[in-house]
Amino acid sequence: MTVAAGAGYALIALGPAFSLFAGVIARKPFLVLTLLSSTLFWLVSLIVLSGIWRGFLPLKSGAWWPYVILILTSVAFQEGVRLVFWRLYKKVEEMLDAFADRIAKPRLCLTDKMLISLAGGLGHGLAHAVFFCLSLLTPAFGQATFYVERCSRMPFFLVSAIISLGFLVIHTFSMIIAFNGYGERKKSDQIFVPVIHLIAAVMTLINLAPGGCLIGTPLLCVMAALTLQYSWRMVGQRLTEHEH
Amino acid sequence: MADGGPAPAVAVPVPVPGGGAPATILDSLGEDITRIVGPVSTCMLIVVLLVSILSSPSSPSPLTAALNTASAAGAGDDLTSALITAGTFVVCVTAATFLMALLFYFRCTPCLRAYMGFSAIWVLLALGGQICLLLLSRLRLPLDAVSFALLLPNAVAALAVAAVSPASVPIALHQAALLAIAVLTAFWFTLLPEWTTWALLVAMAVYDLGAVLIPGGPLRVLLELAMERNEEIPALIYEARPVDPRHGQNWRLWASRQPPAGDFDPTSTVEVLGTRSNSADLDPSLRQFLVPNLSSNPANAQAREVLALPETRVDIAALRVPLIQPQPDRTREDSDSHDEDGIGLGSSGAIKLGLGDFIFYSVLVGRAAMYDYMTVYACYLAIIGGLGVTLLLLAFFRKALPALPVSITLGVLFYVLTRTLLENFVMQCSTNLLMF
Repeated sequence: MTVAAGAGYALIALGPAFSLFAGVIARKPFLVLTLLSSTLFWLVSLIVLSGIWRGFLPLKSGAWWPYVILILTSVAFQEGVRLVFWRLYKKVEEMLDAFADRIAKPRLCLTDKMLISLAGGLGHGLAHAVFFCLSLLTPAFGQATFYVERCSRMPFFLVSAIISLGFLVIHTFSMIIAFNGYGERKKSDQIFVPVIHLIAAVMTLINLAPGGCLIGTPLLCVMAALTLQYSWRMVGQRLTEHEH
Repeated sequence: MADGGPAPAVAVPVPVPGGGAPATILDSLGEDITRIVGPVSTCMLIVVLLVSILSSPSSPSPLTAALNTASAAGAGDDLTSALITAGTFVVCVTAATFLMALLFYFRCTPCLRAYMGFSAIWVLLALGGQICLLLLSRLRLPLDAVSFALLLPNAVAALAVAAVSPASVPIALHQAALLAIAVLTAFWFTLLPEWTTWALLVAMAVYDLGAVLIPGGPLRVLLELAMERNEEIPALIYEARPVDPRHGQNWRLWASRQPPAGDFDPTSTVEVLGTRSNSADLDPSLRQFLVPNLSSNPANAQAREVLALPETRVDIAALRVPLIQPQPDRTREDSDSHDEDGIGLGSSGAIKLGLGDFIFYSVLVGRAAMYDYMTVYACYLAIIGGLGVTLLLLAFFRKALPALPVSITLGVLFYVLTRTLLENFVMQCSTNLLMF
């Protein structure tokens, strides 16, 4: 539906990511590099997942339980990848601290660490939005639009853009929560992230039912808002207790 | 609540609201890498845009139509002819690089300069003009022939001067001119048939690996010559703006360096000299190679198209020459021991990347764009990842390294994996509106 519609869908999915990038990440080159490497990381995990599932595709469209298994395995794999990312990040943090000591500059402060985890999360969210939404948007720049049978009220592109927006928020802020949880060894944070991810992914299963996208998509946005609020509260707590 | 007064000698960073936090290393770390990743990304983006606009099947450009009719019925686009073409190209590039090393050895500065200027003008005028015409016709922009005939040579002359003599123009213009040359050459390469492009990329990656690391390789010979004479390698090199490590800000130091007397400026600004074997004058062997092919049978259509652009091919030879330069990197050891002398050493930590690397990265991404955008994103991330790995290796080994092999390998690998594995998976999930 013309370039304007295509650009509109892209901005729905990626608008907050652009503002986060321009406002926070572009100012510090290291965060840009973190973003690029975490995007690459997520892409590699997605390729591994698709390699594992290659033999089982295409799934029969009638049954819904293969999709459940797909979602469960994918979320479990990605949470495992998040742990690996955390390990890598710890190594990089050690190297950065050693470097800072050598050139007699202050070590990474709390804000810096949170910024790095924000960049990592944004990389994951950006990769999700790019591969699940943006790369399928090419027909939207043309002259027609596309509706999926099970969701006949909204164009496919709009639904996928909104879902990508929800997941972008979830990925970005759950990375901050997760890094904080792993660093402080707080069980509540560590549990929160996989649970939210799982619930959000399972919620997209509602889209399998006819007309389900009208319910599933707003619920996903509720999950995104929940993640945002939890992250806000956690960061506020950390910063105030750090200042005192 | 601000912690108020001057911090003690121990640097304890207190998050002061309002941006008053002490500058940590995170502010400026990694800046030189970003200054290379940025232009590489821009070049790839412009090539992808050009490919998307100009290669749509609805209105095939006259150029691709001509190429398609030449290699009609798929006679040309198979593996063997692709390999032959790629092999021919690599052989010619090797020969041209050896010739360049020879000329550099005999210090033929005028011919190097003249040829550099000629090739820049040719790429910008012929290729650039043709692409402008294609864009004008495709986008139906209203521009009459007289204005075009006035604008194009002027723009070409300005860009060519900017590309070839960087000392006389602002650095932004110089870098823009280099990027323009890279974009035009890369777009031209994407017009080759598919198998030929892939074979060419892989062949160039292997050539790069051999030419730099094997002791008798042409690029290594050239590098050693340049290093023992302490001169710059004569070719089009993209140099990122150096950053002063002592200040946290982006202070442009390149202008403050003192260029030594003489033609060679071994410091910041990019070198002017370039050599090229002009197929008309200096390299009769190439011309002989060219003539019989013009009358060859259609089975050699591939080779004909590529060899019909000898300047392009040899351009690539010269553009391929400079790799990532082993400048003394902006590392801990240097800045510790040379604090007083900081300006000279610190600012020479700029990363140099040969224009040929820009071109081949963009060719890979442009060819991926001809399939689908998902492959574009995957290949882009793979190339940037490969570039990062190469830069890490550069910081580790501190000698000239080839920039192509890692990135091209990763790019081709990710292209294949995306096309075979990822696309099905993502389509299956997305069309059912299942995301995670």
